[in-house]
Amino acid sequence: MSDIHKPCACSPDKGVSRRSFLRTSTVLASGVAALAASLAPLRELTDYTSIEQFMQKYYKEMTPQEMEKVLERITREVEQHYKIRPHVKDYKPMDGVEFVYCLNLTRCIGCRKCVHACVAENNQSQNPEIQYIRVLKLPHGSLDMEKGDHNYAPSSVPEKGFFYMPVQCQQCKNPPCVKVCPVKATWQESDGITVVDYDWCIGCRYCEAACPYFARRFNFTKPSIPKERLNPNMSYLGNRPRKQGVMEKCHFCIQRTRAGKYPACLEVCPTGARKFGNILDPESEVSYILRTKRVFIQLKEELGTSPRFFYYFDV
Amino acid sequence: MKGSSKESLVLTGLTLAFLGLTAAFVFDLWGRIPARESLPLVDASFTNTATVRLSAGELIRSDGDASGLDCYACHERGKPLKLQFDAENNVILSKEHSDIVVGHGRHKRNNNCFNCHDETNLEVLQTRDGHQVKLVDSSVLCGSCHGPTYRDWEAGVHGRTSGYWMRDLGEIDRKVCTSCHDPHSPAFPGRPPAPGPRSLHPIAKASIERAH
Repeated sequence: MSDIHKPCACSPDKGVSRRSFLRTSTVLASGVAALAASLAPLRELTDYTSIEQFMQKYYKEMTPQEMEKVLERITREVEQHYKIRPHVKDYKPMDGVEFVYCLNLTRCIGCRKCVHACVAENNQSQNPEIQYIRVLKLPHGSLDMEKGDHNYAPSSVPEKGFFYMPVQCQQCKNPPCVKVCPVKATWQESDGITVVDYDWCIGCRYCEAACPYFARRFNFTKPSIPKERLNPNMSYLGNRPRKQGVMEKCHFCIQRTRAGKYPACLEVCPTGARKFGNILDPESEVSYILRTKRVFIQLKEELGTSPRFFYYFDV
Repeated sequence: MKGSSKESLVLTGLTLAFLGLTAAFVFDLWGRIPARESLPLVDASFTNTATVRLSAGELIRSDGDASGLDCYACHERGKPLKLQFDAENNVILSKEHSDIVVGHGRHKRNNNCFNCHDETNLEVLQTRDGHQVKLVDSSVLCGSCHGPTYRDWEAGVHGRTSGYWMRDLGEIDRKVCTSCHDPHSPAFPGRPPAPGPRSLHPIAKASIERAH
């Protein structure tokens, strides 16, 4: 801009001539027009952060009343966008509960039903696809992840000579993703679930890089969920719809498991390969498995992440 | 004078450049990001939590067609049945029973109907040690041979569960052996897998297509 005004400064004694004023104004007007035209796509922006959300406090510092307001805002926003009134709740961890997941590699047939039940339960974007679970097809007699294939598409599973290994968030006891978050938008709760506050996440993707299990997903674009496939039973730290630019991950179906139910991936598994429960309860299924079965790995246990997700064999 | 003409040249140039930019932005001369190709929604059968089959008990409770369980609609009570075997020692089934696939075990020793069915009363089952078991309680019969699996099932570790892991808040829904396994051919059947992850990135997409 200073360049434009320079010519006028060369004749300060004469003042600004009419011609020079007009010429300068024309340049300025066309400049403003170009600027305005370049900013036009901003008009299409719809899901900008509301002032309410911008002023929202950190999750752990919110009083129950403040949380109530936040849940109201989320309900309003979801209703506006999807025309469905959701039940949004902030489920808290239960006392004396620590969740553990066990997956029976003998039984998994690689049908990927868990992947899609998870998408449906947890309101993940369906275009582009965001999926928390990846099923790896591995040749028998090896556990080399490099040989894993997640794009298999035969006419029928299981295929001879292969076994299948679904990988999702391992809910580590020592989670590297939590350590790297610069804004503490992700943390481990007392029942062992590592959660993400989508309103606090700045989208730096450090956690995605830190996770050795490829368990975290980033919303590169605005997530798209068909209205008829929206699950209206939502939780603040769980499956409420996300925005563009935030991370998300498996949270053991917080809205189900903290209400005493089994996760969606477990209920849909046709073979019953997935088992879930409270490890602090000696009567639970997972306690039985860890006591009596050949629990052979925590995936990549040499990294010291100490997963709460166990793979085991039947025989 | 020379300074003034140079000045007007610069200003005209700037004006034209700005107007050009305006036109370029308004008409999107750089082009918009192309709209994402639409992905077909995953078939609802892949998110269905139903078991692969119904057990006799479930069939009766759901008011389904349980006529197949009424043995004495066709068979005559008290008349002993004689099984027939072909040259390869496979049992020969009548055409009324042609829907049954005999394939229990990887050997042919389980080709005899009366290993499990009671020949004196077709409506009940029998264990090898002579106990009669009702059709809807068949899990006990299965457990009489498959001990370790039965033990795991009792502990809630073998087979399907749904409902509540926390028993104080609600019921756990357990399935019986025949909710998933066909007793005549119990190996779990293969099934088509749900679609794998679909990449929008052209390079990743090409590599997936190459793999198939």
